Amino acid sequence: MKPNVNPDLDLTISRIIKAPSSAVWSAWTDPAKFEKWWIPAPALCRVATMEVKPGGALVTEMSEDGGPFQHHLSACYLDIQEGRRIVFTNALLGGWRPAPTPFMTAIITFADHPEGTDYNALVMHKDKETRGKHEELGFYDGWGTVAAQLAKLVEK
Amino acid sequence: MDYYSHQLDSIFLALADPTRRAVIGRLGTGPASISDLAKPFDMALPSFMKHIRLLEETGLIETRKQGRVRTCTLEKKHFAMVEGWLSAQRTIWEARTARLEAFVTATQSKEEESQ
Repeated sequence: MKPNVNPDLDLTISRIIKAPSSAVWSAWTDPAKFEKWWIPAPALCRVATMEVKPGGALVTEMSEDGGPFQHHLSACYLDIQEGRRIVFTNALLGGWRPAPTPFMTAIITFADHPEGTDYNALVMHKDKETRGKHEELGFYDGWGTVAAQLAKLVEK
Repeated sequence: MDYYSHQLDSIFLALADPTRRAVIGRLGTGPASISDLAKPFDMALPSFMKHIRLLEETGLIETRKQGRVRTCTLEKKHFAMVEGWLSAQRTIWEARTARLEAFVTATQSKEEESQ
């Protein structure tokens, strides 16, 4: 199934990663590896559940400043093509149970490339409500600034 | 992400004001005293304090008094809490991809060395 990309709502990230696609796949599907990059340092990530199969749950938790682990993401895998593609959404929980506050579906694809892996992430968002609200309130730019600072802050 | 949503309204309200955004922006570079923060604004101190109090109540900043000086600090936790909900999704996913890339290439070179 070809995703219907809406540039207003969706974002695509493409990158050639200089490592074999099996290594990139493994970083997405091995909980111990996933924990190493899913959440920006210094926050710690813990994979509570990772059932890499359609209907399986992906649940991550995070701990900041050495505090207790708190909920980070509860999602459900929709499609798994070994070594090639992972689709998951937070519109559902594990076992396809509807989630309370859905907003995104992510399609991650891995393809071999002469230099390593042709890696693509397509993240589709529910609607413009949240974003539209920000714009109406007139702090879209302000938030962007804050978000950039936040990113700088948390990426350190 | 239900966990985040109950605090979003108050956070959005707090950020829906240019003075408060400017304060947040300034604090992004490091802690500052109330008087330093108030300087750029043509505003009576009590009015400025209202903004500070709102930011503090929302949990976006923390203030601490030492002697006669009250210092404000950005409360990072609250920003991290709302990150998933915001249009900063691109930043998040780009950073995530960068970390993934750094992780797999570092792991790979380690494996090559050990071979």
